[in-house]
Amino acid sequence: MLIERVNIISNEEVAHNIWQMSFEAPEIISEYKGPGQFINILVEDSWSHPLRRPMSIASAKNGKISIIYKIFGDVTDILSKKLPNDNIEILGPLGNTFTNWNVDCYPILVGGGVGIPPLLNLKSECENYNIDHSIVIGARNATEHFMTHEPENDIILTTDDGSFGELGTVMNPIDRIIKEKNSPYIFACGPEPMLVAIRDYALKNGIPAQLSVESYMGCGVGLCQGCIISKNNKSQKDNSYHEQYSLVCLDGPIYEAEDIKFEQS
Amino acid sequence: MKQRILSLSNLKISIGNTTFKNPIWVASGTFGYGTEAPDLIDVNTLGAIVTKSITRQPREGNPPPRIVETPSGMINSIGLANIGVEKYIKEMLPVYKDFSTKIIMNIAGTDIDEYVEILELMEKISTNIAGYEINISCPNVKKGGMEFGVDSEMTAKLTEELRKRTDRLIIMKLSPNVSDIVSIGKAAENAGADAVSAINTVVGMSINAKTAKSNIFTTYGGLSGPAIKPVGLAAVNKLYNKLSIPIIGMGGIVSSTDVAEYILAGATAVQVGTANFRNPGTGENIIDLISSYIKESNWKSSVEMIGKVQTYN
Repeated sequence: MLIERVNIISNEEVAHNIWQMSFEAPEIISEYKGPGQFINILVEDSWSHPLRRPMSIASAKNGKISIIYKIFGDVTDILSKKLPNDNIEILGPLGNTFTNWNVDCYPILVGGGVGIPPLLNLKSECENYNIDHSIVIGARNATEHFMTHEPENDIILTTDDGSFGELGTVMNPIDRIIKEKNSPYIFACGPEPMLVAIRDYALKNGIPAQLSVESYMGCGVGLCQGCIISKNNKSQKDNSYHEQYSLVCLDGPIYEAEDIKFEQS
Repeated sequence: MKQRILSLSNLKISIGNTTFKNPIWVASGTFGYGTEAPDLIDVNTLGAIVTKSITRQPREGNPPPRIVETPSGMINSIGLANIGVEKYIKEMLPVYKDFSTKIIMNIAGTDIDEYVEILELMEKISTNIAGYEINISCPNVKKGGMEFGVDSEMTAKLTEELRKRTDRLIIMKLSPNVSDIVSIGKAAENAGADAVSAINTVVGMSINAKTAKSNIFTTYGGLSGPAIKPVGLAAVNKLYNKLSIPIIGMGGIVSSTDVAEYILAGATAVQVGTANFRNPGTGENIIDLISSYIKESNWKSSVEMIGKVQTYN
């Protein structure tokens, strides 16, 4: 983990309010462990917004990192106005990685909302290792999608309103793929209702699933104790001192579905 | 290395019977137990590390959401999540043996007996802890010591009971959420405290207008960060004007300029808090800068600057 001031290479809107930024970050990449890890971005040096913003790494290669973010509030709005050659300060790499996706299974990568970047990262790793896989991306409507719907290439997009790809949530294609493939393994990141549905489905059907969870983070390095998620069992994780809660920044953001509980479930 | 120590000699301070290599400390609740600092920083450069609050029994802390950013600040309601004093003794104290910075253990309790019990457990064993900061001001737990922090008599009684039982430093941490912080500070001084630290967080609230929900599970939390710096400076200055024991200032310190302001207001030492969340190396980075500032401003030392703010009356 280190702090690096990085030069922005590009920063473009790829779908409605969804932006992709890439920057040179050779030092952070030297410590990068794989898909699922995140960085904590300081968007401006002033203290009007004291906290960094955690963002999942969408790709990390050739000394460059890219992120995909949605304009959500003031800070992401400021981020979207950054130009090539501007610089920002990054802390990272942080958190754990998806595991076992390359061990005798059929990975089903599921992303929704702002949870797409780590799955794109994992998809590109699967391609590097020639691992057969599917990706399912959900959104409310067509404007939020920036990929193309290619069922023939196992890229399935869904929309809640049917304006693009398949009508409905990601659960229909997930269920279909699981019935078709041997040893399916779900890797998912997205809004909490989606993760709750995937967790319930996975536990009910005995399908292994790794979920990348989101949590409001103060520091990203375990000092503030803010980013907790409830544990489903009392398993002691390396960096969380407590029986009930796990620190997402150190022991997450990726958990086996059975290890965590969501507040709304 | 030697050169650095020489160049920083203008930062040495004493509180009670204890000397600190510099007045830049890190605040309770922003630096864990001091043992889990990220490898990107060198904790031994710090004047002291104040641990998160340790309670008699382990505490899970409050349910989420526990933190939210606010303009130039943040609100937290962690709820004193900690491993409890017994596990602290077993797991954390051995790690401190390799530290060359001072450790101040922050203690929180629900009644006098509980504070006393924790302190007695600590005093029974051999440790290199330099002293105790007594949290009588956490806004985020019911009975979180807050009733002590708003009451001079209770503060005096607690200080007295602890004073009887240790020669180590006792620093009473004061709340800004009171009508008269000076009378509580004075009570701590009269009862034998070596120093007071001020301020703990300011009670605050944050609401999401879109969802009409509170952004913090416990509704109210503790506001920290640059937003509260003026509140901290005023508290330190008022305490400095009436107390003779050292004041340890905090609230929104992010730079060496902030440190200079706190020292001029009357602080002997300062604690960097919320800024650690942005960069855990903030304190470390400030040390060299404040040393240079002192030299460039023609002060002999940080001690010479204490309370030297020029006011209009």
